[in-house]
Amino acid sequence: MGGAYLPDLTLVLPEGILVVTAFLILMTGVFRKSTNPQVQQRFGHVALSGLIVALGALIFYHHPAERWISFEGQLLQDDFVYLGKILILSGSAAVVGISLASMLKEHLLSFEYCALILLATVGMLLMVGANDFLSLFMGLEIQSLSLYVLVALKRDQTIASEAALKYFVLGALATCFYLYGASLMYGFSGSTNFEAIATIIRMESAGNFPLSLFMSLIFIMASFSFKISAVPFHMWTPDVYQGSPTPITAFIAATPKIAAMLVFLRLMLEPFMTLYDEWQSLVAFLSLFSMVLGAFAALRQTDLKRLLAYSAIGQMGYMLLGVVAGTDEGIQAVLIYLTLYLVMIIGTFACLLCLRGKGSYGVQNIEDLAGISTLHPKVSFALAIFMFSLAGIPPLGGFFAKLYIFKAALSAGFFGLAIAGALASVVAAYYYLKIVKVMYFDDAPKVPSASYGQIVVLPLKMALILNACALVTLLFFVFPNPILEIVQRAAFTFSG
Amino acid sequence: METLAVLVVFLPLLGAILSSVLDHRSSQAVTCGLMALAAIFASILFVKVGLQEKTLLIPLFTWIHVEFFEVSWGLQVDSLSLVMMAVLTLISFLVHVYSVGYMKGDRSIPRFMAYLSLFTFFMLTLVTAPNFLQMFFGWEGVGLCSYLLIGYWYDRESANAAAMKAFLVNRVGDIGFVLGVLTIFVLFGTVDFLSVFELVEDYKDETFTFFGGHYHALTLATLFFFVGAMGKSAQIGLHTWLPDAMEAPTPVSALIHAATMVTAGVFLVVRISPLLEYAPLAREFITLIGAVTALMAATIACVQNDIKRIIAYSTCSQLGYMFMAAGLSGYSASMLHLTTHAFFKALLFLSAGSVIHAMSDEYNIQKMGGIWKYVPLTYVLMWIGSLALAGIPFFSGFYSKDMILEVDWVSNLPVGKVAFVFGISAAVLTAFYAWRLLLLTFQGAPRADEAVMSHIHESPLIMLIPLMVLGAGSLFSGYVLYDLFVGESTSFWGTALFVLPENEVIGAAHHVETWVKWSPILATLVGIGLAYYLYVFAKSWPERLSIAFSTVYTFLLRKWCFDEIYDWIFVRPSLKLAKVLWKEGDQKMIDGLGPNGVAALSVAGGRLLCRFQTGYVYHYAFAMIIGLVLMIGCYFWL
Amino acid sequence: MTTTTLIFYILSGVLLSSAVMVVTTKNTVYGVLFLILAFFNAAGLFILAHAEFLAMILIVVYVGAVAVLFLFVVMMVNMETKKSQRMDRRYLLMGIFVGGVLVLELVVVFMSWNTSPEAFELIFAPQDGLSNTHALGALLYTHYALIFQAAGLILLIAMIGAIILTLRQRENVLKQKIGDQLARQAKDSVQMVDISPTSSFRNLESLDDSATPRGRTSRVS
Repeated sequence: MGGAYLPDLTLVLPEGILVVTAFLILMTGVFRKSTNPQVQQRFGHVALSGLIVALGALIFYHHPAERWISFEGQLLQDDFVYLGKILILSGSAAVVGISLASMLKEHLLSFEYCALILLATVGMLLMVGANDFLSLFMGLEIQSLSLYVLVALKRDQTIASEAALKYFVLGALATCFYLYGASLMYGFSGSTNFEAIATIIRMESAGNFPLSLFMSLIFIMASFSFKISAVPFHMWTPDVYQGSPTPITAFIAATPKIAAMLVFLRLMLEPFMTLYDEWQSLVAFLSLFSMVLGAFAALRQTDLKRLLAYSAIGQMGYMLLGVVAGTDEGIQAVLIYLTLYLVMIIGTFACLLCLRGKGSYGVQNIEDLAGISTLHPKVSFALAIFMFSLAGIPPLGGFFAKLYIFKAALSAGFFGLAIAGALASVVAAYYYLKIVKVMYFDDAPKVPSASYGQIVVLPLKMALILNACALVTLLFFVFPNPILEIVQRAAFTFSG
Repeated sequence: METLAVLVVFLPLLGAILSSVLDHRSSQAVTCGLMALAAIFASILFVKVGLQEKTLLIPLFTWIHVEFFEVSWGLQVDSLSLVMMAVLTLISFLVHVYSVGYMKGDRSIPRFMAYLSLFTFFMLTLVTAPNFLQMFFGWEGVGLCSYLLIGYWYDRESANAAAMKAFLVNRVGDIGFVLGVLTIFVLFGTVDFLSVFELVEDYKDETFTFFGGHYHALTLATLFFFVGAMGKSAQIGLHTWLPDAMEAPTPVSALIHAATMVTAGVFLVVRISPLLEYAPLAREFITLIGAVTALMAATIACVQNDIKRIIAYSTCSQLGYMFMAAGLSGYSASMLHLTTHAFFKALLFLSAGSVIHAMSDEYNIQKMGGIWKYVPLTYVLMWIGSLALAGIPFFSGFYSKDMILEVDWVSNLPVGKVAFVFGISAAVLTAFYAWRLLLLTFQGAPRADEAVMSHIHESPLIMLIPLMVLGAGSLFSGYVLYDLFVGESTSFWGTALFVLPENEVIGAAHHVETWVKWSPILATLVGIGLAYYLYVFAKSWPERLSIAFSTVYTFLLRKWCFDEIYDWIFVRPSLKLAKVLWKEGDQKMIDGLGPNGVAALSVAGGRLLCRFQTGYVYHYAFAMIIGLVLMIGCYFWL
Repeated sequence: MTTTTLIFYILSGVLLSSAVMVVTTKNTVYGVLFLILAFFNAAGLFILAHAEFLAMILIVVYVGAVAVLFLFVVMMVNMETKKSQRMDRRYLLMGIFVGGVLVLELVVVFMSWNTSPEAFELIFAPQDGLSNTHALGALLYTHYALIFQAAGLILLIAMIGAIILTLRQRENVLKQKIGDQLARQAKDSVQMVDISPTSSFRNLESLDDSATPRGRTSRVS
């Protein structure tokens, strides 16, 4: 216990860079006048460059095909974690890029926003890099707390405060589930380390697992189902999506979902892989309910963000379908889906964020998009691409994401589930296409509402990100290899 | 040569594509220019390949490849397809040029030119097809273009109805074609012409068995194909679309519904001659249908008053002649008549167009008359066309029609003599209606009103020049091609046509009794004489005859009541059935339970799910707890 | 051992019952007081397990700071001890049912409970001569350095959150801001305008409006 002890700090270099940037922003922010929009935007740029530098550091120091462990086994980095961190960092960077202009318009951009985004990103990085229930808990909490505060940022608005409160209370409940599950696990195994737990579970004779082990598994699954908003732990999602300011909704929709999904995947496939026969039916139910609810409940939504919330629930259901398969193919499918989901959702929100009504309101309802195809043909074309892709229409990226998932599910023998998923995607196509229909075939209102998207605010950064997302979605079927390769390597960490 | 052949086929397509993006003047120039090129290339090919009795087989690329079954796109250029290519491109070019004058002032000229060129392309793929499937592609393509062109003036209800009718009636034929292709495929395992024709000898006694009966496979296949040919070539039963198709602009009628597309059926029958030779029953059937059609259409043509309809029925009748010859193994005679007919019928149509043009869009010949002074050139050309049609010696129709009738006489099939009688009777009627048309249109006292008469004018030169070229064709094509096509020692057809030695008729047809040789001319003269008697010397007689034989007259005027019968048998019951299926079956059952029902159910489901989303945080928390309990319970239960 | 066991059960009993009272009592002040009682009992349990440092921390932080803060809040907000509405029978029944099922399930789990030997040893703090504080410190700053730092971040975020949600910069309050006043420069405040003889007063006014950022005038002057 004594003696010189210094963990390998390069592993947390990206996290360190982000924390330092966040501190920098906090320190300067306190002393600078926060009313000046230019100063605020500069904070945004600092945060953006911090994220990009962190991404660079991550890529520079990564050892491919190696299990890099530090902090006495509490953190690790392999190709899977690497992919996750890349997604999270680039996702956060993209969200910062698309949200700055809109945050400014809504008088919401403050230095705390940038700092909190950075800290939340740190939390997510810790989550996906965690190799221990304790470090996972820390990451989870950093991330969730930052998100609670972000949601409450528009504190003068009832709907935002309400959303934040709900998110907080329910999130606390989910955290309780997690803690309860983790302590049961500790009680069972005497360790919090994933590898140690995996070994101990493996040593138990199959079919004779103690009940407490399942209790722990179920509690932990429940808490992560909350994070990825799988049914029936999804109830917070529509309210929080709707209540938060749109840029923050974009953030919540994009990266925390990815982080939680990756952790879920890692937990199921590493410590709990031996229990596959036990958890697969549970995850199958989660997946089924999520797909069905995501498809049906969104049918009657008029609020765009609520609609996207249900859409996210559905999409998570599809990803869980890949987890259920549990095969190498399934893991790859989930990772491809995650990547494309990130791209599509950021693109979608970029479109929504750049459309504004008179009086600096962002678009809110589906009707606010009526006939904008004539006003802003490019933006509506991009949005149509994302909607088609989310609906899973070939040859766009979203179609292939679903295709891989269904293929994996079918080859693992989950025929019923795959068919249900396909049917649900048919129903879900309705509301995605409805948005396209409203944009292209409905007439613009004679007296536009305050949030009718007649103005486009599209700074260079946002345009770049929007175009990049649209291109990836459009051209995935032509050049799928870059994504496929990295995904294959990531999936190899489990099977190899 | 290969390049040339490919160019001939694809230049019209290029023209069609180009003209869809050009304005009206440049689209005319481009399509005419490309068609001229195609026509020149086709004639070069005809001389270099056709007259050298060579066959070109040009593979383009693979279309379908499923295990052992392979179909490729390609061009088969032999003397048969070359005749068609040459005639087709030439007439198509002339019609293109004529259209420039005729369609002047129309709203969408590029569309018209594009359709024409597209049609030419499809027709060329049809005649150069090396297999049944590609032929079917061209077959459907020309059907499509025909539909588009009949409905070209889409704001006319009658045009739309006619277009639809043409398409639907042709569908009936197409089913025959498809069944034929399937039969061939089942029998031979391939649809390539060359392979099929090589194998046919081995399969000549194959039979199919279904519903307890045994059917000769080749007869079945050829009959299926003939059903297709009947549809496309407007033979009795499936002919009703052709007269209605006259709703199309006149150049279209000349190109598609007289000279080329309608002869696709004849071409098909000639193309499958190796199959037909082993299916005598089918050949008898073909001959019979041809003979009946020739007579039936001729009788109807005698009483019609619409100038284009008369010519349309005449087309029907002439197609009947061609099938008559083809059915009796006189394929080359059939092809000769096809070629000469293409010229004189196109000439007649285009001249009729010229007349209509001159008469301010008047179609009824009863309201014409006495205009020959004003449109002398058209008058002369119309005469040439009519003489050729009637088969006056040394005009083109004379050679081919004579040949057909002689073939009828010498054929060893029993139906041959019947065909001969029908053919001679039809020849009388042909001459009669041709001169009735001529006399009523051009001579006698003018029956049109003053306003129309004062506007009568000869057509512009751009319309007359194609007419003159066609006139020359009508004059000389028979004489020029006679020896080449049906001469006693011709080897022009090479392997493109196949006739069993015992069925050989062409040679024998040159040595028939003298009275047989003379009877067609006699028949023609009788017809002409009758026409002159009725419409020049005894003008009251037509009226009195129509009253005296009013039943017959009405029967003919109503075109043998085919439309009425079809309406009664097919159209109304199917409309009724369709209405029931639509209202009860589709709207109530399928939509109600299917799309609409499921949609309503989905929406209801969505509403139900939304009711869970109460907004109360303790409900949400409760849901989470229930979820947890269920998950644990699920474990215990499982 | 019997005394220890007895004390353990007494402390646990009081702890559990006061925890129940925290949830059920109608009066929020009572609720907070019961919470403090629960903390004290928990601290006692820690002492029983030889974890005296944790016991002290619990009392100092939770009782001394958190609970007292709660008390202040409760008193200052002056929440009415309103009669909470009768719980809906449906909710009650359903709640009892679901709770019962959960309890049943947990009972079944605990029937077949087994604890790993490593975990069982941790019931009492290891007696290896080090003081409790020393041992904790040695662990926290080596093994759990990362987690310790992460916990720090969590607290920071909580702080940021609290500040964001409560701090209000009041406008229209006349307050001297020396920093702002000193930082003020001529180019921020004075504007040189060419006035032609023909231009009207109205133009000048609008110009002035656009040049001055909103809010500054009121705050500085």
